[in-house]
Amino acid sequence: MPEHDVLIVGGGIAGMRSAMEAHRQGLNTALLSKTHPLRSHSCTAQAGINAALKPDDSADSFAADTVKAGDYLNEQPAVEILCREASEAVLEMDAMGAPFSRQADGRFDVRKLPGASHARAVFAGDITGQTILHTLYEQLLMAGIVTYDEAVIQALAITDGTCHGVIAYDLREGRFFNIGARAVVLATGGLGRVYRRTTASLSCTGDGISLAYQAGAQLMDMEMVQFHPTVLPGKGVLVTEAVLAEGAVLRSADGTAFMARYAPAAAEMSPRDVTARAIELEIGARNGDGSVLLDATGIDPARASKGLKHTRELLLALQGLDLLKEPVPVRPAMHRQMGGIRTDLEGSTTLPGLYAAGECACAGVHGANRLGGNTLTEALVFGRRAGSAAARYAATAPAKPVPEALAADAQKLATESFDRTVGEDSPSAIRSDLQETMERHVGVHRDAAGLQNAQENIQSLNERLSRVGVPNTGAVFNTSLLGYYEAGHLLRCAEAVVLSARERTESRGAHARTDRPDRDDKRWLKHTLVSLDGERPRADTADVTITKWAPEPRVY
Amino acid sequence: MHITLNIMRQAAGAPAEASFQSYSVDTAEDATVMDAMLQVRDEQDGGLGFRAGCLRGFCGDCAYRISGTGDLACLTPIAKVAKEGAVNIEPVRHIGLLRDLVYDLDPFLWDKVKAVRPGLTAPDTPPAQEALMEPAVVEDLQTVMSCVMCGLCDEGCTVITVDSKFLGPAALTKAYRTVKDPRNSAAGLELDLMEKPHGVWDCTHCYEANGHCPKKEINPTYRILAVREMLMERGIKNKAAARYHESFTSSVKRSGWVDEGHLAISGIGWTNIWGLMKFLPTALRAIRRGKAPLPYLHKKRPGADRIKRIFEKVERK
Repeated sequence: MPEHDVLIVGGGIAGMRSAMEAHRQGLNTALLSKTHPLRSHSCTAQAGINAALKPDDSADSFAADTVKAGDYLNEQPAVEILCREASEAVLEMDAMGAPFSRQADGRFDVRKLPGASHARAVFAGDITGQTILHTLYEQLLMAGIVTYDEAVIQALAITDGTCHGVIAYDLREGRFFNIGARAVVLATGGLGRVYRRTTASLSCTGDGISLAYQAGAQLMDMEMVQFHPTVLPGKGVLVTEAVLAEGAVLRSADGTAFMARYAPAAAEMSPRDVTARAIELEIGARNGDGSVLLDATGIDPARASKGLKHTRELLLALQGLDLLKEPVPVRPAMHRQMGGIRTDLEGSTTLPGLYAAGECACAGVHGANRLGGNTLTEALVFGRRAGSAAARYAATAPAKPVPEALAADAQKLATESFDRTVGEDSPSAIRSDLQETMERHVGVHRDAAGLQNAQENIQSLNERLSRVGVPNTGAVFNTSLLGYYEAGHLLRCAEAVVLSARERTESRGAHARTDRPDRDDKRWLKHTLVSLDGERPRADTADVTITKWAPEPRVY
Repeated sequence: MHITLNIMRQAAGAPAEASFQSYSVDTAEDATVMDAMLQVRDEQDGGLGFRAGCLRGFCGDCAYRISGTGDLACLTPIAKVAKEGAVNIEPVRHIGLLRDLVYDLDPFLWDKVKAVRPGLTAPDTPPAQEALMEPAVVEDLQTVMSCVMCGLCDEGCTVITVDSKFLGPAALTKAYRTVKDPRNSAAGLELDLMEKPHGVWDCTHCYEANGHCPKKEINPTYRILAVREMLMERGIKNKAAARYHESFTSSVKRSGWVDEGHLAISGIGWTNIWGLMKFLPTALRAIRRGKAPLPYLHKKRPGADRIKRIFEKVERK
């Protein structure tokens, strides 16, 4: 059994940044990833990475924007850390070789993204995430950090409430194996595939969230799901928010610009929850065709030819549309959850030895709605912090081998599914029905009846999954088995999302309840928590920490 | 749209038994090849093995041979490639397979990326402000870093087909990125690696890599040639390659064309007796087949003097 001081699970930006940090502190560090690290979903982040680097900007202004966008549900100490440490995180990426776009004077160019009071998104054309991901991977290779590419964890090794390793299935070798680690950092990304219309990569099946939850960790603010306003209908292909930032206009089918009716001051420069709701209402109210138009025909073609190059190529390849010459039909789709595994400011979860960072984690940075450009900043800042805290913990924690019994239990899940008769039902059919349910009942707008419906559906989908037989296509790259695991993770994540959404009887940020349309600070200036009580999910709440920014009416 | 997908399948460890399996699906008019493949896996055959990731061209995980041409399945509209309602999907060439369409990129690509010192040597603590860089220099780096490491340029490479150890256009494009980045404090070490066997000098500049790359602006072949330029400028440390190029130039300057016999011997080195002995059988074969007429005389070509003047003019600059 391989043993390491620190094992990072997840090869995206948060995971690799964590790994770099633990390695720098001199610990034996390894990184395990379901896909090759360069295939991680981080590659799709386009518009930019926020940092208050310009002289007219400040960490405080950045924090105030983040808190307002988050509708005051943010953990403000976490926001202050994010905004203070962002600059160093971006400068470090620059020194490592990330090709951030420059102005004529050689300094960083910046974009003003929707929801921001200042232009503070540093960017690399429209492939910001991809270039940061590749730059970190280069550094990972230069540092010689051990990687286990294309292996999925099946369970966390927990003894006496402490995490000390993982049980994994190596897809390439087709074997199950244990990895002992004094500390484990989960950086497994999001749960986007819970929805049918989603911008998430196929790998975003909430594995880490689900496994931490099963191991006893708390989840926080799971009802907070961000829908990106501008996604090609019928596909998960996102049109970057940078297009709005560069001056594009949203129009209904008859050509009328409508955003100013919903957000008089900010209009198209509103945060994503505001814009997504406006589009949904426009589609519901007037457009039968299920989309609105993103009109970028008026933006500066010289700037667009450099800054939106890949977006243009993508739309041309997939839809035969030239972004600069004709409007693009768009509608909101699931993009990113704000909630996740509850952590403190150092990435520690509620289980000793287990840390989390990036999209799977929730330190409360984003509150009820994430500001565009903050995901990359969060991944670097909190990835570093989690790697550092895990390394400090691992330096003194004793090594414990993963008991064979735990490994055998995890494998039983696979063998049992192979032993059942393969019938009409399949993990992908169950996943597809879940996606339909979430799409219908837990979308941009929600209400009590729909949420209850969703909860009942998820219950029956869980029962179906426990009966489903999986064809055994062999040990190597068994995609049926992978699909079976993933369906289980998606169901568990969905269960937590729906439970939290039912609990929060108000509208705040991305959580818009048509039956409770107002924000209720008296009752609900609180985080929702979900954890397992035996087999049953249990809901709870925790206070929101407010340092500088008292809740105000949120007007854009 | 009704489509028949013929997908090449093989069990793990049984490459000899690879065969096409046909699936028929109804897809949306604007569906991509990947949309159809996912539909097959979700609705008909959960065990169909293939990789896919972001579904919009950023992750590089879905390069296949689609009706005979290597491309990213997520960026290929099915209507564009379907012939009489059918599309063939096969693994890209020259890569070992794990199962079905899941190939083993380690020896083909990832090990080569690791071999080129693929990252910058960065300071331990970041500077207080960003490095000042020309916008054009950064844009060039962005272009090469838009490479998604799909491996299609390596698939098209005509050298890898005969020398699997050749680092190949993808890894060499990564090398370009590190040696061209002005923030790299150890670019010299990366350049040293490029000179070694299987490095930039082994490229035959057939330009296939440019044509096979799904991104139109990366042009891996040009990147390899640019690294060669850098090596020439700093003075080639690889003696054989340097002598070869000097002999090539001086021959054309002197006679207007290449003296191949001289070139071959110069590359080995006139005093490298052991090297010349090894070359002897080749020379004898050439003589026997009339490729090196005896007595060996290399004559000036007509107009050689004008060619010489071009050299002199360039050298004066």
